[in-house]
Amino acid sequence: MTLFHFGNCFALAYFPYFITYKCSGLSEYNAFWRCVQAGATYLFVQLCKMLFLATFFPTWEGGAGVYDFVGEFMKATVDLADLLGLHLVMSRNAGKGEYKIMVAAMGWATAELVMSRCIPLWVGARGIEFDWKYIQMSFDSNISLVHYIAMAAVVWMFTRYDLPKSFRLPVTVLLGLCVYKAFLMECLDCTAKAILTFYCFNTFM
Amino acid sequence: MFEEASEVFDNMFKSSFPLTFIVFIPAVLILVSPLPAEAAHEFTVYRMQQYDLQGQPYGTRNAILNTEARTVEAEVLSRRCVIMRLVDFSYERYQKALRQSAGAVVIILPKNMSTMPQDIVQQFMELEPEMLATETIVPVYFALEDDELLSIYTQTLTSSSSQGSSSAAEVLIHTATANGFQMVTSGAQSKAVSDWSITSLEGRLAGTGGEDLPTIVLVAHYDSFGVAPWLSYGADSNGSGVSMLLELARLFSRLYTYKRTHAGYNLLFFVSGGGKFNYQGTKRWLEDNLDHTDSSLLQDNVAFVLCLDTLGNGDSLHLHVSKPPKEGTPQYALLKELETVVSSQYPEVKFSMVHKKINLADDTLAWEHERFGIRRLPAFTLSHLNSHREAQRSSIMDVRPHVDLRKLSRNTKLIAEALARVIYNLTEKVKSLVCLCDPLCCVLGQQVQEEQLSSVVDWLTAQPRAAQLVDKDSSVVSTLEYHLGRYLKDVRRHYVKADKRDPEFVFYDQLKQTMNAYRVKPAIFDLLLAVCIAAYLGVIYLAIQHFGVLYSLVRRITAPKTKQH
Repeated sequence: MTLFHFGNCFALAYFPYFITYKCSGLSEYNAFWRCVQAGATYLFVQLCKMLFLATFFPTWEGGAGVYDFVGEFMKATVDLADLLGLHLVMSRNAGKGEYKIMVAAMGWATAELVMSRCIPLWVGARGIEFDWKYIQMSFDSNISLVHYIAMAAVVWMFTRYDLPKSFRLPVTVLLGLCVYKAFLMECLDCTAKAILTFYCFNTFM
Repeated sequence: MFEEASEVFDNMFKSSFPLTFIVFIPAVLILVSPLPAEAAHEFTVYRMQQYDLQGQPYGTRNAILNTEARTVEAEVLSRRCVIMRLVDFSYERYQKALRQSAGAVVIILPKNMSTMPQDIVQQFMELEPEMLATETIVPVYFALEDDELLSIYTQTLTSSSSQGSSSAAEVLIHTATANGFQMVTSGAQSKAVSDWSITSLEGRLAGTGGEDLPTIVLVAHYDSFGVAPWLSYGADSNGSGVSMLLELARLFSRLYTYKRTHAGYNLLFFVSGGGKFNYQGTKRWLEDNLDHTDSSLLQDNVAFVLCLDTLGNGDSLHLHVSKPPKEGTPQYALLKELETVVSSQYPEVKFSMVHKKINLADDTLAWEHERFGIRRLPAFTLSHLNSHREAQRSSIMDVRPHVDLRKLSRNTKLIAEALARVIYNLTEKVKSLVCLCDPLCCVLGQQVQEEQLSSVVDWLTAQPRAAQLVDKDSSVVSTLEYHLGRYLKDVRRHYVKADKRDPEFVFYDQLKQTMNAYRVKPAIFDLLLAVCIAAYLGVIYLAIQHFGVLYSLVRRITAPKTKQH
């Protein structure tokens, strides 16, 4: 029944996208081709990011336990390209704000789904061995759909000239969180571990 | 062009069934193929013996396995792989599994046999020949235990034994969420190995003083036997015999280098292969030497043939004969010398002669000397075992701790002295060998080298020496050849291949496999998951359809805050 399991994971990952596409009214605007264009932009942006990272950030050789804060920070900064890409897609689409956001987010998220989740699911979920991580991966893709919609909305708000002044700061902070999300999680993880070991060390000495 | 492409895609996704069928389904069908997935656990398993001896098949006939794991307590065992631990193993359980047409049996052995209590070891030793006697279609495998395998076993045990005890709802939930294991072997079906040659080695020490000297032959078979070929180390049977033979070769070659102690007997040493399979090596060697050669040491004057079999333990020594030796013959002399040496120097040893007639109607011969007896050569076997049917002679439990080095070296000294007394005809001359002429005293006085014995036994028990595993390029054979070559002259190999038309023995391959244990969930689980995912998607659909409601709710919550400012 392992193909069935693959079908389960695939349905869990893909159907919300399909439902969102249908029910948000995008289909009435014939936005399919524009979503595909957004997806192509995603591919292009990822390629540029990878080339940039490979050229300017050689593998850092250091101790295993020490976390290279500066290096990881620089690497996370490269994720700004994501925001630029989203902005590029939205600026090329004429139309209302919601239309632009939805088209950009849908295309971007679908491209990410196809590129980074389809192959692991195909190879892994079809095997005899069962692992919960495939269900986790599919569920993760739902969450990233919402995340990309939010990110596109924040980028759009940032570029509006008629945004009230009081909203500038929260919007900028949210943008920063979007880009450095993974980095901040790692930092928190490291500091938590350090505090815990320090505490244990003190307790037992 | 792009607009048309997008239209095509749109049509495909919306409704057009033939188009989807043409494009999508064949792609899926082509790509559907069994993929090697990551296993929960991969471990080596050793198959039970499979061989034909004189046309009679023994052991398990099958090698492939791809079934779910269960333990013996489960109710349904058919077409399942039954896993048992050695501590829980008993013949009734084994028979129960076979009767219910289980798919396979896997027996888990502890890594260190010496940690097992003696009675379990003894019981298993006795069950081995019974397991092999019947021909089973079901593949039987043995695996060595490690932590992962033990955890797999305990998980299977809990899920198997709880099948008949709780309420229907619990059983339903349990079957839906249980963690099962699928055992899969990676090899092919077993088939007969063609052209397998069993190797034997011979070497000699020529006597001095004339042409027609009597010959003494010393024989030991080097292969081992057990319920699983890859696990049969054969420490006592017959690693002890081979190490003793090498030690005797060393002693007598030293004696024969000095003119004063160069006796008038030819000594022929023979390390035979295929001993546990009805002494095939010896049988063919005898045929070649007696029927096909013009002159051979075996055709002329043979004083006697002494076979060494299982001498590494125990405080008794039995001389097995097929015909009691007549007075005045060299065999009688050896018998008397053995009795004398035992009674005078080693009183703790109980020596006796066991007379057993050769029974040609039996499936297999009892001891190695019977092969010589059939060809009218005077022969006997020395062993600490009383009967050839003892389970220790063919058990996988016969590992290095079974050999007591002190007893082995004591037996070696005993036999060396008895042989020397016969060869040098010392019976009437002196009581003990110690105060004879100097070179003899000096050489035998330096005694049997215990370190040499110990290292040979250690080396022999370091690898499995089943006849199916030792081919002519094996390191066992070449090392034995080298060792014999250090002490003896004319060291030669002798090969035995089964006859094409009426083979005396047939061996099969696929004796060692890699088994994978995959963690699987039952089919109901997939259905359950599908139902849950459908429910989740339904909720998502409703949420998105009525998103406006959610939005206005959020605005109503945040609105009072702005009003207050």
